[in-house]
Amino acid sequence: MLIGAAGIFGLVMVLVGLAFRRKDTIDGDGQQVRLWIIGFGLVFPALVLGALLLYGLTIGERLSPRAGANVVQVTAEARRWEWRFTYSDAPALETTGVLHIPAGLPVDIAITTADVIHSFWVPRLAGKLDAIPGHTNTLRLEADRPGTFQGVSAEFSGAGYDAFAFRVIAHDKAAWAAFLQGQLE
Amino acid sequence: MKALERHRKLTAIWASEEGFKGWFSTVNHNDLGRMFLFTAFIFFIIGGLLAMLIRVQLATPHSAFAGPEIYNQIFTMHGTVMMFLFAIPTFEGLAIYLLPKMLGSRDLAFPRLTAYGFWCYAFGGSMLIVAMLFGIAPDGGWFMYPPLTSAIHSPGINTDFWLIGITFVEISAIAAAVEITVSVLKYRAPGMSLDKMPIFAWYALITALMILTGFPPLILGSVLLELERAFGLPFFQADLGGDSLLWQHLFWLFGHPEVYIIFLPAAGVISTVLPVMCRTTLLGYGWIVSAAVALAFLSFGLWVHHMFTTGIPHMGLAFFSAASTLVAVPTGLQIFAWIGTMWKGRPEMHLPMLHILGFFFTFVIGGLTGVMVAVVPFDWQAHDTAFITAHLHYVLFGGFVFPIFAGIYYWLPHFTGQKRFFYLGQLAFALVFIGFHVTFLAMHWVGLLGQRRRISSYAPEDGWTAINLISSVGSFILAIGIALILIDVLLHIFTAHRGRRNPWNAPSLEWAMITPAPAYTFASLPHITRRDPLHAEPDLAVRLARGEGYLGTPRNNWRETLCVDIASGKPEMHVIYPTNTRLPIVMSAVTGLFFLSLLLKFYWTVPLALAGVAFLAWRWVWRLGHGHDPEMQPCGHGISLPNAATVERSPGWWGSAFLLTANATFFAALLFGFVFLWTVAPGWPPPEWFAPSVTELGTGVIGALVAPLALGHAIRVNRQGGAPFPSVIIALLGIVALGLACGALMWRAPAPTDHAYGATLLVLGGYGVFHATVAALMGGFLAAQIRQGYTSATRRAAFAIVRLWITYTSLTGLFILLAAHLPGLIP
Amino acid sequence: MTVILRILIAPLVWLVCFSAVYGLHALACDSAFGAFAGSSTARIVLLVAFVLALALQLAIFWYLHRPNQAAPAGFLRFVTRASAWTGLVATIWTLFPVVALSTCT
Repeated sequence: MLIGAAGIFGLVMVLVGLAFRRKDTIDGDGQQVRLWIIGFGLVFPALVLGALLLYGLTIGERLSPRAGANVVQVTAEARRWEWRFTYSDAPALETTGVLHIPAGLPVDIAITTADVIHSFWVPRLAGKLDAIPGHTNTLRLEADRPGTFQGVSAEFSGAGYDAFAFRVIAHDKAAWAAFLQGQLE
Repeated sequence: MKALERHRKLTAIWASEEGFKGWFSTVNHNDLGRMFLFTAFIFFIIGGLLAMLIRVQLATPHSAFAGPEIYNQIFTMHGTVMMFLFAIPTFEGLAIYLLPKMLGSRDLAFPRLTAYGFWCYAFGGSMLIVAMLFGIAPDGGWFMYPPLTSAIHSPGINTDFWLIGITFVEISAIAAAVEITVSVLKYRAPGMSLDKMPIFAWYALITALMILTGFPPLILGSVLLELERAFGLPFFQADLGGDSLLWQHLFWLFGHPEVYIIFLPAAGVISTVLPVMCRTTLLGYGWIVSAAVALAFLSFGLWVHHMFTTGIPHMGLAFFSAASTLVAVPTGLQIFAWIGTMWKGRPEMHLPMLHILGFFFTFVIGGLTGVMVAVVPFDWQAHDTAFITAHLHYVLFGGFVFPIFAGIYYWLPHFTGQKRFFYLGQLAFALVFIGFHVTFLAMHWVGLLGQRRRISSYAPEDGWTAINLISSVGSFILAIGIALILIDVLLHIFTAHRGRRNPWNAPSLEWAMITPAPAYTFASLPHITRRDPLHAEPDLAVRLARGEGYLGTPRNNWRETLCVDIASGKPEMHVIYPTNTRLPIVMSAVTGLFFLSLLLKFYWTVPLALAGVAFLAWRWVWRLGHGHDPEMQPCGHGISLPNAATVERSPGWWGSAFLLTANATFFAALLFGFVFLWTVAPGWPPPEWFAPSVTELGTGVIGALVAPLALGHAIRVNRQGGAPFPSVIIALLGIVALGLACGALMWRAPAPTDHAYGATLLVLGGYGVFHATVAALMGGFLAAQIRQGYTSATRRAAFAIVRLWITYTSLTGLFILLAAHLPGLIP
Repeated sequence: MTVILRILIAPLVWLVCFSAVYGLHALACDSAFGAFAGSSTARIVLLVAFVLALALQLAIFWYLHRPNQAAPAGFLRFVTRASAWTGLVATIWTLFPVVALSTCT
């Protein structure tokens, strides 16, 4: 996308630059309209944008959560300025500021909020999804290897916004089982 | 009559009062356009200083410059000032100053309204700045998302300043939009049909129509949020049947068109200036007009792309992703039409051209990053990061500030009648251009690295230190550049160096006059046969000064002009403008009292202020009355035209029609909010439903049917020379019945503070009561005019205007009553 | 005024249809509507709305292209027809996701 954008930008700048070369003024607009307005102005952007749109929608469609057998369910509730996570596989567990997930399994995170709007964002794992009062939004993500990932809240929420961050820890199979039984600190 | 004598006589008629007293009583577009632009640039400087504070704060990690409480006010005010107090008013000022001159008229349609709008803007803007000086400025971000901005999470007065101040300022936007629309459609030189209009007028017309339909959702949102904050009506509280998403919809329903409301006038400047700089004509005039129309509409179908991360299903996002890519097509078409124009002609490197090149470079990048964020998965990452901040600055600075600088340098000789003497401008442009790109390219980069927007500090470990420092250094280069432009402009104004008329050899009418422009603009009005009148007749200015056009003879101390038929530009009526008056400033001060009372919760002065506004409005229109039938006036070139008071569709009728268009958008947004809460918000159904009443519904419906019919009858009777008074009284009674039914709805709405359902019914009823009051006042006004002998079969313009308002009130009243009563009556 | 309305009508109808389909989609995916939400019925309703919008645009397109409806001046005829094209293309371009994408995920 960046390369394509740079290419288009370069093209436009070259066209602007070439307008300054010495030449005769052109009389009659007919041919100019066909070239500049219909060619460059209509057909060219329509083709590029159409292709880009289809590409984006395909990716988006693939990223959407679908019902599956092995999806781990967790809940993320935001409040100023802390995230609380609960786990449907272990109803008694609640963690604050740290979300534990299994690696290699799809996880559905039900995101909601206790006060104002926040946004759940772990850049390395998925895009943003907002936590909106009265609504629950579901984000599908999957960590392909165990590890720790930084997350932040990405919707302005007042004075404590700067430091409003959390961590996501993806565990391997054994550690995940231990976590669910409350044996992991 | 000699040209000089005509100039003296016209100046005596049109001039504002001497000295600074004249500022308060002027209604002339020359003065008010300049006052708008001057004030807007003061706000631009304030907004710019705030931007520098932001960059100081972010230049180093763990910055101790300002705490989050202050910093949040700084960035909120930066966005608010630049959007509402700089960008829109700059367009209004430029359009107010230029349009009559470009269209070959002597003033805008409603001179006193221009003044009223200006003072509302000046007072409302000052309110916000005063709040900032006291450290109680809004701090919720310029889009003010509740519940962060609700009374629970923002208890201070900060947010109220935003909601009330901005609504006050929006009055001026709506006033200017009505003004511009009617002026472009009706106040043109004879012969100027739609296809001969200067391209800037097309852009101004489209922008004005967009303001009329784009701003009302924001005004509604602000009213609802202020009602929630002040009186606890829970429109945006999820646990009481409200929904904070409603605000986002209303805000972005305004917010995205706003971007194009800012861009289109700038595009109008480019389409005007670029061909002159290239010694040619604009390529594809019809295509550009069509593209601007397409852009205007498509921009209303994009609002959800600001909400891609709110959890809307993918297909819902896909609609808006598709619309967001499609909107780039008409934008691209305009860009390539301009490049084609450059290829067609011989571009010359004057200072305006330099800024246009700056526009091309910057805006194309902004457009391309815009297309990127229109792609949903990319936006899920980039949303709310510095990448978005950088993108929007490329679009707004590239798409508005550079073209406006081009326009300033282009029209500066017109404002002053002088030519540039010092050559600081080129250096200033270089600094602005370099500074801007350093600042915001760095910001793109740091955004992709994950820096969120609106943070006040970051840690050295984040690895953003160097980039932020570069960005801050760039912003100071940019600031120095803008300061140089300011100095350059001031030097231009204060170094007398007489320039020649039409220094750019431009083809458009605004150069067919002496500069600086005289108060009356044209000594006589031209007859237009081509789109480039000055190229067709290079000596047009001299001939107009000699009085060879229409209305060349000053008479009766009248400020006169002509109105034309919309499509063909055939002269249609003769207009006499009101003269200098302090009524606008007094009325906007009383309007300000209303807003200030709300802000400070002095509720006992609210009805006082409302009564004051109603009283002043009554005087405002009463002065326009004629005691005798005006005769057909000879207007030159052998034509005689009827006075505007004697036609079916007077300027006042057109103004009302467009004001009601804005009003209807407001009402539609309110109905949308009702349906949205009912269907989408959690916390429904409400604990208690409204008990329908056949009596109330019947009274209201009958009233709503009787009122317009009775007024229609009054019009017919009046036309035949009969006595319309009884029918007007019957129409009044109908309106009163409708008002009572709406009042009953307000009275009986189930506990409005307990649930959004009752709150919405209260607001719907209030809307009905308010409009019934306005319509009743107008009906009463008409009745008083009839009694005083101010109407006749000939003087009939007031009837049509009152009918318009009464019909509108009846229609919306019907909607309100049915929406409230019907659900309960259907089993 | 009719000349202005003729220019505005096609994109205006697009805007209304676009908002209506979006609203319909939001309702079709709202769990408050029980079994209807996300079902194949919802998809059919959306498809019908799409076809209706398209038919409306085609009717306007045809109307604005009739020789006796076109404004006399070449310029106005051009702008009117260009905006008819805008309405039609926008309807297809922005509402085709109804056909192609999954309804409610």
